[in-house]
Amino acid sequence: MSHAYSVAEFVLPFLIIAGLWELLVRAGAVTSPSFPAPSTILVKLWTLATGRGVLWKHLSESLYRLAVGYALSAGAGLLLGTLLAMQRTLREMFAPILSLLISVPTIAWVPVFLIILGLGDRTVIMAVFLGGFFAITYNTIRGIEMVDENHVRAARIMGASGPRLFAAVLLPGSLVSILTGLRLGIGYAWRALVGGEMLSAMISWGIGKMIYQARFWNDVVAMFVGLMIIGVSGLALDRGLLRWLERATIEKWGMLTEG
Amino acid sequence: MSYRKLLLPLVPIALFLVGWELTARFELINAALFSSPSRIWRDLVTLHTRGLPERSLLLTHIGASLWRVFIAALIGTIAGVIGGVLMGTNRYIRRFFDPVITVLMPIPGIAQAPLFIIWLGFGDPTIITVGAIATFFPIAYNTAAGVRSVDQQLVRAARTMGASWANTLISVYLPWAAGYVLSGLKLGWARCWRTVIAVEFIAAASWGLGFMIWDAAEYIRSGVVYGGILLLMLIYFAIEKALIGTIEARTIRRWGMVRT
Repeated sequence: MSHAYSVAEFVLPFLIIAGLWELLVRAGAVTSPSFPAPSTILVKLWTLATGRGVLWKHLSESLYRLAVGYALSAGAGLLLGTLLAMQRTLREMFAPILSLLISVPTIAWVPVFLIILGLGDRTVIMAVFLGGFFAITYNTIRGIEMVDENHVRAARIMGASGPRLFAAVLLPGSLVSILTGLRLGIGYAWRALVGGEMLSAMISWGIGKMIYQARFWNDVVAMFVGLMIIGVSGLALDRGLLRWLERATIEKWGMLTEG
Repeated sequence: MSYRKLLLPLVPIALFLVGWELTARFELINAALFSSPSRIWRDLVTLHTRGLPERSLLLTHIGASLWRVFIAALIGTIAGVIGGVLMGTNRYIRRFFDPVITVLMPIPGIAQAPLFIIWLGFGDPTIITVGAIATFFPIAYNTAAGVRSVDQQLVRAARTMGASWANTLISVYLPWAAGYVLSGLKLGWARCWRTVIAVEFIAAASWGLGFMIWDAAEYIRSGVVYGGILLLMLIYFAIEKALIGTIEARTIRRWGMVRT
């Protein structure tokens, strides 16, 4: 019951804003073609979704790139994060470099990838990879670093070391931070995806591409559809996918301090 | 600061740069695509000196970007603080705008850019507007959280002693929320910087670091592309240390709100 209530509470502001907007357009107060009515936008959404299913083509291409890039970034991030967390010398060597690289906006790397990897899919996937990689690596390192020293000592005294130590103490202890990293990572990865798609000339499908192309047709309605989808998808990815992951692991195992 | 901490990071960097230069010289990698440290340096210097004595192209690009970031950050910060205070003090405003912010905040500025290009055209208006929007969200969000967390007892105490709403705002809410607000400012300004550069990729007409990088990429002038990224790193590093570090030191550290 309360779940339905909070969903309604969430959607209400949008309904109110959409309603007002619609009224303004119908009443003739807003007549510019650049401010289409919500009803027009919804109709366009419908047309794109059904008809020849263009929307699904765009969305599935985007999600494909996101999946590949994110999976790579999670794998690499977890691995590198663990490595750097466990080896002090390596960490002192590479952590500052990591900080320096993080300061560059992900999108700024895209021209480099366009030159090296070409104008197609690979560049976009690379951008997605970078988006997720830093957040995941950083949070993994922090998570392992922050494991209670006493637990580590206790385990060592009892004879654990290396992989055993990792599996039994370090991994569970850092799980909350790692999951936060994964959650942040998917957000950054999704945004990098959209940006990368907008800049890659030789791809034809993708939500980002859809918005970019719409400009050449002055198709403001399609842009709004695209933006809506970006917003909703971003939300779905974070709240849906990763919240589920969180619930299945750290909440079930009682690792969170609140709730 | 120990020498180890200072020198260790330089080892991989030095090795990387030397390796890069050598593989480019011996043509083990395609120098046109990958460039090399020496060429990057040369390209940047050329970009700086070519237009002189009238103007340094490089500095004009950098200046254009910094100018846009400044204006966008100014607008976004003011709007963000005001919006955040409103949301933090008024329950209904918060409950109304919370979902809206949750959905809109993650949308990257570069995705909003085509829309604004249609509305406002290419160049400064679009870039600054999208930058301001990107700045607004984190600042409003954090400010709201900070204002909300204010201990109402203090507010009541101040009101009992005769403080007006404005006075209460300044002497109770603001200091209490300062830590949160500063967090928001850091996030917001970082976002402003990233968004301005990104939007410059597609919306800038002739000047700007983003424009410089994008334009160079289109002509495969890889030296300038890498050089541009290097400049992004350096400028951001300088801004972070100089500007934000100073603000933090002068305010929240001096007031003892954060462990130094």
